[in-house]
Amino acid sequence: MVGIKLNKIFFHRLFNNLVEFFRSDASRFLFPALFLVLVFYIIPVIISVYLSFTPLKNWNIDRYAGEIIGFENYYKFFYMLTHDPSVKAVFLTTIVFVALTLTVNVLGGLGLAIATYFMSEKAAGGTQLIWLLPRMTPIAVYSMIWYYFFHPSSIGTLNSILLHLGLIDKPIDFGQGIIPWGAWAIIVFVNGLVGVSYGMIVFTSAISNIPKELVIAARVDGASNWEITRRILIPLLKWHIIYVTTWQLLSLITTYDHLFLLVKWGLVNRDYGTTWSLYIYNTAFQLGETDQGLAAAAGVILVLVSSGLGLLTLKLMGFEKMIKPPRGDI
Amino acid sequence: MPGMRDVEIRSRSTELLIMCIVFMLSLPVITGYALIILSSFSRDMVTNLDPSAFKPTLTNWILLFHGRTALFAGIRVNIWGIVFNTLIVALGISLLVTITGALTGYAISRMNFHGRKHIMALLILLHAFPGSVLVVGVAFIYRLFMPSYTYVVYYSFFFVILARAAIEIPMATWLMKGFFDMIPWEIEWSAIVDGASRIRVWWKILLPLIKPGLAAVMLFGFLAGWMDLIYVRTFLAEPTLAVFIEYNVHAEYAYLPLVAAAGTLYLLPTILFFLFAQKLIFTISVSGIKG
Repeated sequence: MVGIKLNKIFFHRLFNNLVEFFRSDASRFLFPALFLVLVFYIIPVIISVYLSFTPLKNWNIDRYAGEIIGFENYYKFFYMLTHDPSVKAVFLTTIVFVALTLTVNVLGGLGLAIATYFMSEKAAGGTQLIWLLPRMTPIAVYSMIWYYFFHPSSIGTLNSILLHLGLIDKPIDFGQGIIPWGAWAIIVFVNGLVGVSYGMIVFTSAISNIPKELVIAARVDGASNWEITRRILIPLLKWHIIYVTTWQLLSLITTYDHLFLLVKWGLVNRDYGTTWSLYIYNTAFQLGETDQGLAAAAGVILVLVSSGLGLLTLKLMGFEKMIKPPRGDI
Repeated sequence: MPGMRDVEIRSRSTELLIMCIVFMLSLPVITGYALIILSSFSRDMVTNLDPSAFKPTLTNWILLFHGRTALFAGIRVNIWGIVFNTLIVALGISLLVTITGALTGYAISRMNFHGRKHIMALLILLHAFPGSVLVVGVAFIYRLFMPSYTYVVYYSFFFVILARAAIEIPMATWLMKGFFDMIPWEIEWSAIVDGASRIRVWWKILLPLIKPGLAAVMLFGFLAGWMDLIYVRTFLAEPTLAVFIEYNVHAEYAYLPLVAAAGTLYLLPTILFFLFAQKLIFTISVSGIKG
């Protein structure tokens, strides 16, 4: 009984808030964005959740979309997770991929930010531009570059370097032949390069906000670069390191576009080159008989994991501080 | 965004050492890009680092512009049509993201309304939402409203632009909010006291003041649309450069240096922005693109 009453009050307040919002000036500014976000973000998410309870296959909407089969897709996914070797591989790949790429991203970003700090302005700018390039490159071209770099024949750059150095006699198939670590190394490398720039940018702007006097005082006292890094820069960047780590963690769990072509072109093994996110996309759109119900169920579970981590991020980021009241209302 | 520099008394030799290390680490990236671009001007792929494989020629580019993807087979594609498709998607997304971002960014920077806090939380949460789950629902909507055969091409362009722009709205809003935050409130205050509406103030006073911000968001939206692979390959009825490369890199008949030329062509806007708009590149990257 209490629950119903509370619900009534809640909806009444929600309704009043909505009415007030639509009367306000602000709603006119927000309408286009809210409309797009509603139609292409929020409604699709609701549809995805709904589809996870239907047996939708091969996009046969007329035949399957109206049918509800309860949690069957979820049971199926958990069954596959424990019995199907390729889904097991995907799960393991996701964990390894996220953990390793996250380490590369955070430490690499930190390393680059600190290294450019000790450089002249021009060299620092050039370095930052080079490391921003992967992020701004069309995904298809970026994938193509690494496809040829790790190519399993002598046309591949890495193979030809190793051949010239005499370390190997014949080309190695890194992504398909050395399972799982060869495939994992490639996907971590390719995604790590994209992600490093995020940490680099955040840490660089954080370093530029550190009072110069601290570093000058340390220099006058004869501190080396290493001592300045360890005793001044890193302790003052602690908060930013936590922020970049959580943010990148979320991005890595959800990212799949930089992996798609590597798997499709066969550069890396299908099972050990696919992460959970890519598995969802491939199940819904790629593999011969597509199964949207199963993909949606795997997706809902991933959403639960990532939104839990997302809420944690908001807490860590000190969200209240970021949304301090606006200026400008009379 | 070169930040604060170290003080002048640092030693020159350690600086050189650090620069050498960073350069060594950057080598794979530089090599990878350089080899693809060089291959596009060579008769054979030069990705094996063999100087004798480099036989300079413009044939790849000439064939590409004639739309011939294979040396001997009679396969022809309309490459200019493909470039045009890519451009339409990128420009559409850029325009839409700029308009909505400028509107939303202003509201969040300057207005206190019911649910402001919730909308900001929503924007951050959406940014961290798994894209592959989203695509399944978006594809469902795509199929629900599919028009008759004659209009499918127009519909797919319209759909891709709207759907892809929606993904960039959270980031564009944050970017624009930052620019509006930098403008003193007093400038528009007098206009509002004189009885101008908020929309009028936004259009007449603020937009002209934040032209650099608008340029940054436009570039951000353009690159997002230009780079995209998943949305165009899933929804667009016509091929873009991304799809062209996807299907030609490991096609049996493909003439690889020609695909490298297509890749270089596709890379061109990125390179141009890096050469001529470095300041804008840093501006957009500060606010962060997902990755």
